[in-house]
Amino acid sequence: MTQALELRGLSAGYHGSTVVRDLDLRVGRGEVVTLLGPNGAGKTTTLCAISGVIKTHGGSVTLGGEDISSVSPTRRARRGIAHVPEDRGLFFGLTVAEHLKLGRRGEHLDAELAYKYFPALAAITNRRAGVMSGGEQQMLALGRALARQPGLLLLDELSLGLAPVIVERLLPVIRQFADETGCGVLLVEQHVQLALGIADRAYLMGHGEGSTSYDASELLNDTRLIEASYLGGDDLDLESLATDHNQKIYERETQ
Amino acid sequence: MQNILLFSILGLASGAIIATIAIGVVLSWRGSGTINIAAGAVVMVAGYIFWCLRTGYFAPALMMVPAVLLTLVLMALLAVVVEVVAVKPLRTASPLARLVASIGVLLLFQAAVQLVFGTAPVDSPAVLSAEVVEVVGVTVPIAHFILAGVVVVLALALSMLYRFTRFGLATRAASENERSAILAGLSPDSLSLANSVIAYVVAGLVGVLAASVVGVSASTLPLLIVPALAAALLANFTSFGIACAAGLAIGIGESLLFYASTQSWFPTQDGFALPGMQQVAEFFLIVIALWWRGSSLPQRGETAGRSLPPVPRQERLVRRAAPVVLACAVALVVLPSDFRQAVTTGLVATVLCLSFVVIMGYVGQLSVVQLALAGLGAFTVSRLGTEFGIGFPLGPIIAIALATVLGVAIGAAALRVRGITLVVVTLAAAIAIEQFVFANARWGGGQTGAPVESPTLFGVNLGADASFPGLNGTLPSPLFGLLALVGTVVLYAFVANLRRGDLGRRMLAVRSNERAAAAVGVNVRAVKIVAFGIASALAGTAGVMYAYNYSTVSAGSYGIAIALTLVASVYVLGVTLVQGAVLAGFGAIGAVVPLILQKWVLPQDQISIWVQLIIGVGLLVQLKLFPDGLLVGMELKKERRAEHKAQSEPSVVSPRVEEGVPA
Repeated sequence: MTQALELRGLSAGYHGSTVVRDLDLRVGRGEVVTLLGPNGAGKTTTLCAISGVIKTHGGSVTLGGEDISSVSPTRRARRGIAHVPEDRGLFFGLTVAEHLKLGRRGEHLDAELAYKYFPALAAITNRRAGVMSGGEQQMLALGRALARQPGLLLLDELSLGLAPVIVERLLPVIRQFADETGCGVLLVEQHVQLALGIADRAYLMGHGEGSTSYDASELLNDTRLIEASYLGGDDLDLESLATDHNQKIYERETQ
Repeated sequence: MQNILLFSILGLASGAIIATIAIGVVLSWRGSGTINIAAGAVVMVAGYIFWCLRTGYFAPALMMVPAVLLTLVLMALLAVVVEVVAVKPLRTASPLARLVASIGVLLLFQAAVQLVFGTAPVDSPAVLSAEVVEVVGVTVPIAHFILAGVVVVLALALSMLYRFTRFGLATRAASENERSAILAGLSPDSLSLANSVIAYVVAGLVGVLAASVVGVSASTLPLLIVPALAAALLANFTSFGIACAAGLAIGIGESLLFYASTQSWFPTQDGFALPGMQQVAEFFLIVIALWWRGSSLPQRGETAGRSLPPVPRQERLVRRAAPVVLACAVALVVLPSDFRQAVTTGLVATVLCLSFVVIMGYVGQLSVVQLALAGLGAFTVSRLGTEFGIGFPLGPIIAIALATVLGVAIGAAALRVRGITLVVVTLAAAIAIEQFVFANARWGGGQTGAPVESPTLFGVNLGADASFPGLNGTLPSPLFGLLALVGTVVLYAFVANLRRGDLGRRMLAVRSNERAAAAVGVNVRAVKIVAFGIASALAGTAGVMYAYNYSTVSAGSYGIAIALTLVASVYVLGVTLVQGAVLAGFGAIGAVVPLILQKWVLPQDQISIWVQLIIGVGLLVQLKLFPDGLLVGMELKKERRAEHKAQSEPSVVSPRVEEGVPA
């Protein structure tokens, strides 16, 4: 099976300083993968490097089996990457309906798909994004991303500025979309428990370096790893955490 | 009553051009987020291209229709060239860099046209019919109505295009948030190019149609950008309809103002109507438009969050400045007289450029009015001396105070706008001062120039005609040059020190984020006003020094083209560094670099147009290499290299590597 996304030895950063170093990561088709880690670990940078908004310093980005490392961000978006950034990437002067029409020449956005997953949007099609509530905006951002029928969905901090109850409603929609369309999802989320609740696998990042992948449900039981993913700290040691985690699973299974 | 109608209709022609330029400004803003100062020059270029094709200037003359079509094709090509050279490379640069690039395009277009075709306007063959119609008893040419009708139709068509098409939707999206547009699979580069081509073709069409009605002139057409900016402001840089209507209204208003100036009640001076009233009216219109619209001006989301060139630390100034000061001092005594004059002029221009460092570099407000303030100082010194007998040192003090007060007043009028939008107000102010004060025969020099008495202190002549041992009275006197050198060094140290002090820190805070600065207790308004005050005082000082340097003041030295050239060269060399001011100063008209060019490289005449051309070209080339300015870019490279050096050594024993071993 080809992967929706595969990163090999990815390095990226800003103005010549490297933030993400030598990251390996993959997301399968229809798989929801979450990227965990403390502030400054390089999660957002990783997403930006995948969508091409920032230049990579090394390594490769492969989308559906095709190397897109040297492809411009505009073309990456056209090849099926939908990146919902932290600021939601909306246009405040455009209405909901206009957002769902906005595409390159010949591209058809499936507005019905957006309304199907987020029925609340159908009631406010003529409202400008600038006057919508945070929850509505996030729904529009997600609905727009889904309407583009992407092969890979990158979601950055969906929960930013939203009440947990809204996040609890948004995340299952993502899961459902991935299951139904086979779209791969890479999710960065502060609400670790919620994210792990819908994810298949998780990667832990610290100081710009990535870990091996964990099974999401196993990770939910490992309080030490979850703590590390929030707090990080100078003594964050991804390798020993992974060893301990595997040790625990091994012990439990042999009992 | 009939006359009012007649002049209203006659105003439609220039109104149509103003409306077109305003539409061009709106298109550039939407397409690439730049205030396109060159929009007026584009109409001029179209007029000249058509004139060439039609009269057979380069090749056999063409018939009218092919000439019009070929002009439009050439305009589209020109749009592509400008986009590739001056817009696309600067997409991620600061908005200031892009604005300066558009100034570069303006300077380049104007200088190129003037060098090829001369400065006199040309008579373009008529495109529109010369028939006249009678409207309520007034006979008017029909061409005026056609011209206005074409512009209205174009504005409506553009409105429809932007409201109802995919292209319009994409442009609106990209102009609001470029990064989100990229993530949506749109290409801001192609959108910007498409908008720019539309703008050039629209300008080309109206330029061709209007050429025979208003005349094609390289000196007046580019300056129609000022009323056009007022119209674009009223349209919030967004609405084509309002831009068009406001442009036409301004044209009609100016025509009526001209009619009013023939009336007995109009203020006169020495039997003539007061000059410059139109430019003053435009300035106040812009100020009113800004008060009304200023806070709601659309801001553009940029891919790169950087807004202004960085301000490097200014260190080891003495070591850097000392050799230059010494060289100047020696040059002032030993070089031949034209070079002594050029060195002195360079010093004076340096003081003027220091005022840009304060207002543009430290506070991030693009002001092009500094040269006009300098001119105000110079004329004041002249008038105080010749009419009131007030000489040195009281005269200069009054002159500098006057320039400061006016500068602060202009700054205060523009408090609601910030950054690059300020260019609109200051441009209008500069032109208003030029036309209202300098061109006034009694207040300014008129066409002849005003004499300036040499400064004397305790009976000792300190001016350019002071005696100096060993030179037997050949002008200019090194004494004045040396005094100018001392003054320049003092002001140089003052501006450099400002950067390091408390006020400088507050200025930088205001520059990077006004709201954040206000939130930590910085009085944003006060800082801006103080900055305007300091910059205006520096400009006034430079003006006084200019006046004493040349012993005469003429309006030609303070024109808007020279002001724009100066602003552009300061920015390109490094507006956030005092050294940038020195380089720009010595490259200014009349200073050392142009003198060398004039003497050995370029033809003797039209030196200022050549300098304008060189600076226009150099600017566009340099902006690609160091979009933040030459010296700033080099300084930053140095800083970064030093940081790398400092980082690379301890990184060998970084904690991560240590931990890796036991794991």
